[in-house]
Amino acid sequence: MFYRQAGIRHRSYVSDSKLFPIPTDRNLIWFLVLLGIIAPLVVDSLYLNSYVLPWLIWTAAALGLNLVTGWAGQLHLGYAAIMAVGAYSAVHAARFGVPWEFALLIAGVSAAAIGTVFSFAAMRVKGLYLALTTLAMQFVMDWVLSHVPAVTGGSHASLQSPTFKLLGQPITSDAGLYYVAFGWCVIVTIFILNMRRTGLGRALVAVREKDYAAAILGVNSFYYKIVAFATSSFIAGISGALLVATFFFLATPEQFSVNVSIQVLAMVIVGGLASIIGSYFGVALILLMPGITNSLFSAFADYLGLQLNPETLAHIPTAVYGALIIIFLMVEPLGLGKIYNNIRDYFLVWPFDQMKK
Amino acid sequence: MDWIFLAELSVNGALTGLLYSLFAIGLVLVYKSSSVPNLAQGALTMLGAYIVLAFSLSLGLPLWVAIPISIIIMFFVGLGIEKVALRRLAGRPIVMILMMTLGLDIFIRGTTMAFWGGTSRPMDLGVSYDPFFAGPLLLSRIHMIGAGVSVALFIAIVFFFRSRLGIRLRAISDDYMASWSVGISVERGVGLSWALASVVAVITGVIWGEIQSVDQSLSLLLLKGLTVAVLGGLDSLFGAVLAGILLGILENVGAAYLDPLVGGGSRDLVVAIVLILTVMVRPHGLFGRHDIERV
Amino acid sequence: MNSTNETEAAKDPILTLNSIEVLYDSVLLAIKGVSLEVPNGGMVALLGANGAGKSTTLKAISGLLKAERGKVSRGEIRFDGQVIGDSPPQDRVGLGICHVIEGRRVFEHLTPDENLEAAAPISMSRQTLKSEKERIYSYFPRLAERKSAEAGYLSGGEQQMLAIGRALMTQPRLLMLDEPSLGLAPFLVVEIFDIIQKINREQGLSVLLVEQNAVAALKIVSHGYLIENGRVVMHDTAAALKANSDIQEFYLGGGEAKNFHDIKHYRRRKRWLT
Repeated sequence: MFYRQAGIRHRSYVSDSKLFPIPTDRNLIWFLVLLGIIAPLVVDSLYLNSYVLPWLIWTAAALGLNLVTGWAGQLHLGYAAIMAVGAYSAVHAARFGVPWEFALLIAGVSAAAIGTVFSFAAMRVKGLYLALTTLAMQFVMDWVLSHVPAVTGGSHASLQSPTFKLLGQPITSDAGLYYVAFGWCVIVTIFILNMRRTGLGRALVAVREKDYAAAILGVNSFYYKIVAFATSSFIAGISGALLVATFFFLATPEQFSVNVSIQVLAMVIVGGLASIIGSYFGVALILLMPGITNSLFSAFADYLGLQLNPETLAHIPTAVYGALIIIFLMVEPLGLGKIYNNIRDYFLVWPFDQMKK
Repeated sequence: MDWIFLAELSVNGALTGLLYSLFAIGLVLVYKSSSVPNLAQGALTMLGAYIVLAFSLSLGLPLWVAIPISIIIMFFVGLGIEKVALRRLAGRPIVMILMMTLGLDIFIRGTTMAFWGGTSRPMDLGVSYDPFFAGPLLLSRIHMIGAGVSVALFIAIVFFFRSRLGIRLRAISDDYMASWSVGISVERGVGLSWALASVVAVITGVIWGEIQSVDQSLSLLLLKGLTVAVLGGLDSLFGAVLAGILLGILENVGAAYLDPLVGGGSRDLVVAIVLILTVMVRPHGLFGRHDIERV
Repeated sequence: MNSTNETEAAKDPILTLNSIEVLYDSVLLAIKGVSLEVPNGGMVALLGANGAGKSTTLKAISGLLKAERGKVSRGEIRFDGQVIGDSPPQDRVGLGICHVIEGRRVFEHLTPDENLEAAAPISMSRQTLKSEKERIYSYFPRLAERKSAEAGYLSGGEQQMLAIGRALMTQPRLLMLDEPSLGLAPFLVVEIFDIIQKINREQGLSVLLVEQNAVAALKIVSHGYLIENGRVVMHDTAAALKANSDIQEFYLGGGEAKNFHDIKHYRRRKRWLT
């Protein structure tokens, strides 16, 4: 944020690896958490549940993908398939009468199990070939979702999610559902924040940068790849389950199709690889964009007195979404997280950088 | 087992497979000359078909005029893609290049749909729908024509890659820096490869448009084309042709026997499984280079 | 040979760098004012330790900096009297500057024959192409023996010869070699340097040679520049450099051990020079 980080002098390794080197940083985070807590009082419940809630859950999901793609450097084009595994296993478990707490756990564990299968591909190949394999796995999952009625009820069917309950209390109010999403997003964020500064995070980065160099240093790259895939899949599974339980209320195969996988990857890339704050921004941009462009275009057409074809209007968000990805990669491939850092760095030295010239 | 039925499935599968090869040739062209996986080829195919339709239906031009005009337009579209989108990404990590081609795919699909809408339109090449009888086998005429075009294109491009210009493109794919150092314009070379891939996309779009009519589903050929390209070994044209035939047969025969068991739609499953198995067992495909990033 | 080259140098240097500065990513100053001259038809060496800025200097001349997000932020580069501004690498190759980049970097999946063809200007006629290839095979007979194997399978020495031969196909007037001795056996280094010298004599090709192997380099060049930390700290004839005790100590090895005072003295003198 916009204050000068003067006077940080680390005297020990512990102080260097502290999460927040300056107290103001920590206070700022507390302030943001406080904002999150009072949000239901301030924000209209329509906006809260149709924008803020999905934003938080998708952010948790995007952070999970960022773990495997941003930090561990493994391309993953089948993330939605993993989310589907979590969503469907949780809904089936809940319908079976399992309490939601355990249903979510089952979602995470089953997703992690399938995610580990994906990681076997990562042991064999990397880069483009890994992307293609995970993409193919996504297609297999799409096929299973639309062709195995025992799981989904068939391609056009949807599965009703039972009322969400925690500790036996049904949660149906807007604020209640919001707090569930908020809580999950905070948990994932705290996990990733801490992962970054521990051995796990450093090992993942080492594997990303050069896996055999990491292996020479004693980092078991196979092990860490499995850990990365399993952890991120766990997050994906629970995020997928929560998405169905608190937002869609229905599980359908299209919610987890290949396009969704690409969308989550777009969120991560637009946000910035290996950037936490970037994931928040990226998800917000990609989620809000269709609504914004649609209203912009209709307003623009109204202003000009044009009658836009509804079909045209329906496809413009897709075009804008693609353009957004292209423009971000052209202008700032490191994403919104990097743009945020650049702006902050600019203001950090603001009046003084002018003097240099 | 009915051998005639199996033979017919195989031959028709092989013909369809050669049409996948046609698509895959577009992928191989770009990969062989810039090492970039072109995930936008599906969208380009769709765009190519729509442009041909725009000239033939909306402007009323005959197809033999509309197709060459579209080819010229798409040539420049391909050049533009390199100039605008890919030039800045040279040397960036593969995840960004992949995402760029995915972004291009989404953008082109969205724009095309916004212009022409989602209704499917026929591409009438005037090929008879009567089956062609080869002994006891029933074959589709348009598939045969498409397969012929595919083989002809394959031969033409093989010769192109032996020419001095083609050698330069292959040099670019090997090493950008070294190419610059001896005065090869990497930008122009990569642009040319995208332009040629876009031209191939028009041809693919026309033939597939005749077979399944022109709509958004043309871009879904990407999965099959990718599988063919990977199975053949991403940078091998001959591999793409052979893998196309193989995949076509496998898919047709596999689907005929699997569909009754699972209630239809097993073609995509067969394709996805072939892709996974290829990468797991032999990532460089049948004829690809061996310098694949193995773990 | 030295004396004739010196008189030519006074007449018309083919390459002049006038205190150029190179900036990477618009922040990192890699070269802080390098000036040098390559006489027409002469051979000049650029010596220095790792990271001193030798390769960056060559990339600034050949325009390859652009590929690494670097740019010449100050100073001018003159080739044959003309200022080369911001032109792309292929234009500079067209002018006659060819850069053999570090680490050989042949086109691995092309045969040596195709490697040579790839580098030939597209306007070159088939006839000339053929005779040019013959000329290069005559310099490097080893390559002719293996002209249809994939270049990736050639030995290190053969790859280096191919890299030089490929550069010669561009019809250069100035050949810049970046560490041609890297990772090669000493007898191969001698062989390659002999060939470079031979081409220099026979074709009047100017050569700018970057080397870590100062002993080998100083044997064939007429002049040497010493770069440290992005600055030219010393410039003299090859003979004078070889005789210089500091150079012997720090770059050639084998001088008598010096005491701390001498090193301090050397460092101070170096500062004066820059």
